[in-house]
Amino acid sequence: MEISAAAATAAAAAMPMHVVEGHTTKKTMELKWVSRRSRGGKIQMEKTMKTPLESKPKAPATLQALVPVFISTNPSHVNPDDLSDLFIACNLSCHRFPNYVDAGGGRCVVEAVDLHKLRVALSHSSVLVSVFCKPNDVIGCSSSSSSCLKEKQQQQQKKKIVGFGELLQNVVMPVTPLNSQLVGFGRAVSDLGLTASIYDVMVLPSLRGMGIGRMIVKRIIRMLTSRDIYDIAALCSENERSFFEVCGFGDDILGSTAMMYTRSSVSTNPQDNQIVKPAGRKLLLVPPLSKTSPYSKTMKS
Amino acid sequence: MRTLTPVASYPVCPIVSFELCRQASNKLFFPCNISENLAKASRVHKTYQLKAGFWESIKSGILNNNTTQVVEPPSTLPEEEEEPLPQEFVLIEKTEPDGTVEEIIFSSGGDIDVYDLQALCDKVGWPRRPLSKLAAALKNSYMVATLHSVRKSPGSEGNDQKKLIGMARATSDHAFNATIWDVLVDPGYQGQGLGKALVEKLIRALLQRDIGNISLFADSQVVEFYQNLGFEPDPEGIKGMFWYPKY
Repeated sequence: MEISAAAATAAAAAMPMHVVEGHTTKKTMELKWVSRRSRGGKIQMEKTMKTPLESKPKAPATLQALVPVFISTNPSHVNPDDLSDLFIACNLSCHRFPNYVDAGGGRCVVEAVDLHKLRVALSHSSVLVSVFCKPNDVIGCSSSSSSCLKEKQQQQQKKKIVGFGELLQNVVMPVTPLNSQLVGFGRAVSDLGLTASIYDVMVLPSLRGMGIGRMIVKRIIRMLTSRDIYDIAALCSENERSFFEVCGFGDDILGSTAMMYTRSSVSTNPQDNQIVKPAGRKLLLVPPLSKTSPYSKTMKS
Repeated sequence: MRTLTPVASYPVCPIVSFELCRQASNKLFFPCNISENLAKASRVHKTYQLKAGFWESIKSGILNNNTTQVVEPPSTLPEEEEEPLPQEFVLIEKTEPDGTVEEIIFSSGGDIDVYDLQALCDKVGWPRRPLSKLAAALKNSYMVATLHSVRKSPGSEGNDQKKLIGMARATSDHAFNATIWDVLVDPGYQGQGLGKALVEKLIRALLQRDIGNISLFADSQVVEFYQNLGFEPDPEGIKGMFWYPKY
């Protein structure tokens, strides 16, 4: 079959990538293929280039809109400016209760992320996963995703059957963080002992439904479990819940409730001096120093 | 010999002393190497900054003469990262009839013995966790707040009994998100507002650094406790989910 020949060639032309597996601190970068048909789950064709001997190409029913993506866990591949753009493209914010600004035409979008704070957050995240894709593929996918009729979509996809030439091009000029666009991201913060929390998982809207988001979460989990952390939490809004369920998340078996600090004012007495801090659109009350403590003696600084 | 006069209200800055030394004799007033002193000085400088803020807030709390809410703009961080500066102070002091003084000391320095913590977790009935994991978790937490009880018997000078009676910790990405884990108080000391003090201190420290997404996962019996502290369950439909490996 045409594809398996090309795949074999691609596999043989060993990518000059640093793909050491095994040691938990080594960073892995992999080339993966995602397909628009992956919505069904079983038809997704996935090839990892890291160990050609181990690659298990699933027999594809039809090759439709195969897109090579590059997944990396190397923090230096994350460009804060590109990430900020991705946040805007996905209309997401780092704040749980973001401020919305009027973007004109009645649309309300989240305000942009503070770049300095984003850098700080990235440098203190235990796991960073980023997914890249060639700009051509991004445009190609977005044009086909705009159709609403199912038949029209299938018709368009038939035209995008991947040929041998295109595959060879992907071998010669593979997707790397340098020549491609950031299309997916996810990070986790952990105490590297007991627990971890996953934040900011996002995929460019035009490339959703292809398994990239799942790939990101799977990679984060793999990075954490390889460091023996199995208590992995994610705070998700209503529309993210089904996504995380598919990734293997569920309600806490111990029945715990997720809670967030949202207090903005506690006293109706105008005499009280209250300090509040802005967090997105919330103004959070800083708990005042307790007046009931008899005295505070600074013992050592 | 030339005496050094302080430049500002801060202690003598080694930079100044270095200059004076060069002008005067070759004698260095600071025997250790300069870069180390510079580092020390900057740390001392920051401590003084914290103390100023600390006493300001106590003053304002006591004086009570401001009427409006003060909205602090997001603080501008200095170039280099700083961990929350460790604080230690006496929260409560009690004198017993026989003259024994018991102090409950709050500390955010993270100076905690893992074995003591394990014993405290046993006391409150928590399942055991591997000590190495506990130690790693404490080391990599953004802030670990502890409460110790120090009992001083009259007459036995220097024979203080120090006991760990409470702890709370938070992990954070230092910018946006924080999660509070492992809040526990010795059952014999519960009901006195100690847990509340621990959590409030954590929230205070987090908000001072503009970390606005403060979350936690509460067992059903303590949901009300956290509600009283200003936490909202499932705010705006945000739910917590956990990963379950499927074998």
